Amino acid sequence: MNYMSIKLQNVNYIYGIGTGQEKHALKNINLEINDGEFIGLAGHTGSGKSTLVQLLNGLIRASGGTIYYNGQNIYDKLYNMRDLRSRVGLVFQYPEHQLFETTVINDVQFGPKNLGLPQLEVELRSFKALKMTGIGDDLLDVSPFTLSGGQKRRVAIAGILAMQPEVLVLDEPVAGLDPAGRDEILGLLKKLHDDNNITIILVSHSMDDIAKYVDRMLVMNNGEIVLDGKPAEVFQFEKELEQTGLGVPQAVKVIHQLREAGASIKGKPVTAEESASAIYNWLKYS
Amino acid sequence: MLRDITIGQYYPAESAIHRLDPRVKVVATFIYIISLFCFKQLSGYIIAALFFLCMVKLSRVPFKFITRGIKPIIFMLIFTAALNLLWTSGENVLIKAGFITITAEGVKKMVFMALRLVFLIIGSSLMTLTTTPNQLTDAIESLFKPLNKVKVPVHEIAMMMSIALRFIPILVEETDKIMKAQLARGADFESGNVIQRIKSMVPIFIPLFVSAARRANDLALAMDARCYHGGEGRTKMKPLKYKKKDIAAYLVMLCYICLIIAAGRILPV
Ligand SMILES: Nc1ncnc2c1ncn2[C@@H]1O[C@H](COP(=O)(O)OP(=O)(O)O)[C@@H](O)[C@H]1O
Ligand SMILES: [Mg+2]
Repeated sequence: MNYMSIKLQNVNYIYGIGTGQEKHALKNINLEINDGEFIGLAGHTGSGKSTLVQLLNGLIRASGGTIYYNGQNIYDKLYNMRDLRSRVGLVFQYPEHQLFETTVINDVQFGPKNLGLPQLEVELRSFKALKMTGIGDDLLDVSPFTLSGGQKRRVAIAGILAMQPEVLVLDEPVAGLDPAGRDEILGLLKKLHDDNNITIILVSHSMDDIAKYVDRMLVMNNGEIVLDGKPAEVFQFEKELEQTGLGVPQAVKVIHQLREAGASIKGKPVTAEESASAIYNWLKYS
Repeated sequence: MLRDITIGQYYPAESAIHRLDPRVKVVATFIYIISLFCFKQLSGYIIAALFFLCMVKLSRVPFKFITRGIKPIIFMLIFTAALNLLWTSGENVLIKAGFITITAEGVKKMVFMALRLVFLIIGSSLMTLTTTPNQLTDAIESLFKPLNKVKVPVHEIAMMMSIALRFIPILVEETDKIMKAQLARGADFESGNVIQRIKSMVPIFIPLFVSAARRANDLALAMDARCYHGGEGRTKMKPLKYKKKDIAAYLVMLCYICLIIAAGRILPV
């Protein structure tokens, strides 16, 4: 497989053209996503995150601008959109709302079946995906509607994983889950990224959720990407982040407040553990 | 994808028509529709069209929104036009080919009938474009209140109507979302024969029904939690009250209907 990348050039998106209630949801987005990156896309509600991710697999068409996947313009007449959709797997917000089959295993097989794979391959991929998401064998033949919220969500994610996309995009995958369910899913994504080197784009409006996992962070505000960089760098802009209604993770906030009070803490800690050891070092050596 | 549906679509604007009491608009639309059947000659059509154009101008709704309402009925329009054209007998035969006879009377009837249908549709669209669904149900509840006396549950019917109207855009949005989610899983809604296409709808309909049931359940609970108990003794936050401009609007409608009837008696064509 050659080098994968997604490139957006001057992409705009306007909802409701010609209805009198137009909404400029994306404004001149320029962005490049490289192979194997683990990206966090943050922004408050209505900033355009969901719109942006739907553009990436061609579900909606940009009102202006171009998108390149592996160097090919996806708006080219000859470009195969269905192929793109199998390469860029998109897990929608509340994906459990799209379950429809009689059993869990049948539902997961829907995606790979649509790819036209042989039955054996379909089953193999589905079992693998369910195993990855931690759905036990005892649940394979039950109706997905009888599962708990967290289990349903994992089945739905398995449905996309079974298609083995090159890029996995997840729109608020942990919204409405309890802390345990949240950590489980985020940990699963981390493992998926580390083991299979698959590109992951994780959408969230919570900084705490993504700070720990991602290598690169994009912050959106009002349809624009306002910050782009490593989490530690992005969190230096606490004022700006607060203005966009996001703020920084609690662990980063504590460090910033201690510094303001005169503590000379070194480094750019992001997670609670990193912050704790930074504070420990400061207390010990100062 | 599904956003072309125009039922109950509201066009927000600041205009004299938007500000009218919704009851006036419902009654006026009713009068307008009746008026369409009060004349037979060309002059009536001209008056009805001019009157309508004035109202559109007053409402500040762009004309293309009004005509958009015709799109869904275009098939019906063609069908009735064809029926009128072929089945009207008359003396002035224009074309005669086999069993098909087209007469001048048929052409005239076709044109007039089609015009009537178009006026009827765009007349009612003007009402829904300038009145929010909530105002509309308020108006209907208020206008049909007398039926309470004969044990028709007017409030409950109006409530059901407003809930249904409220849910149309939500369900349309939901359908759109589910469709996209299944497309992302490689679903194909466009190719194959009729049976395959119907089958391909299953992954849309099941989640849609599940979600509609869930929403209905939530709504019922929320209404219960707020002690909703039907129409009896219930007061309105914004009770409908006629103002001077509403009376004026009724007078305008009265003048219009008189004019149409008079034109029908006096004018030769
Ligand atoms: N189907 C739609 N029709 C009209 N406006 C929409 C639609 N979907 C989203 N929007 C608007 O576009 C903006 C961006 O929405 P979205 O991408 O869903 O934001 P986010 O996912 O960051 O919450 C919002 O202001 C929203 O109201
Ligand atoms: Mg969103």
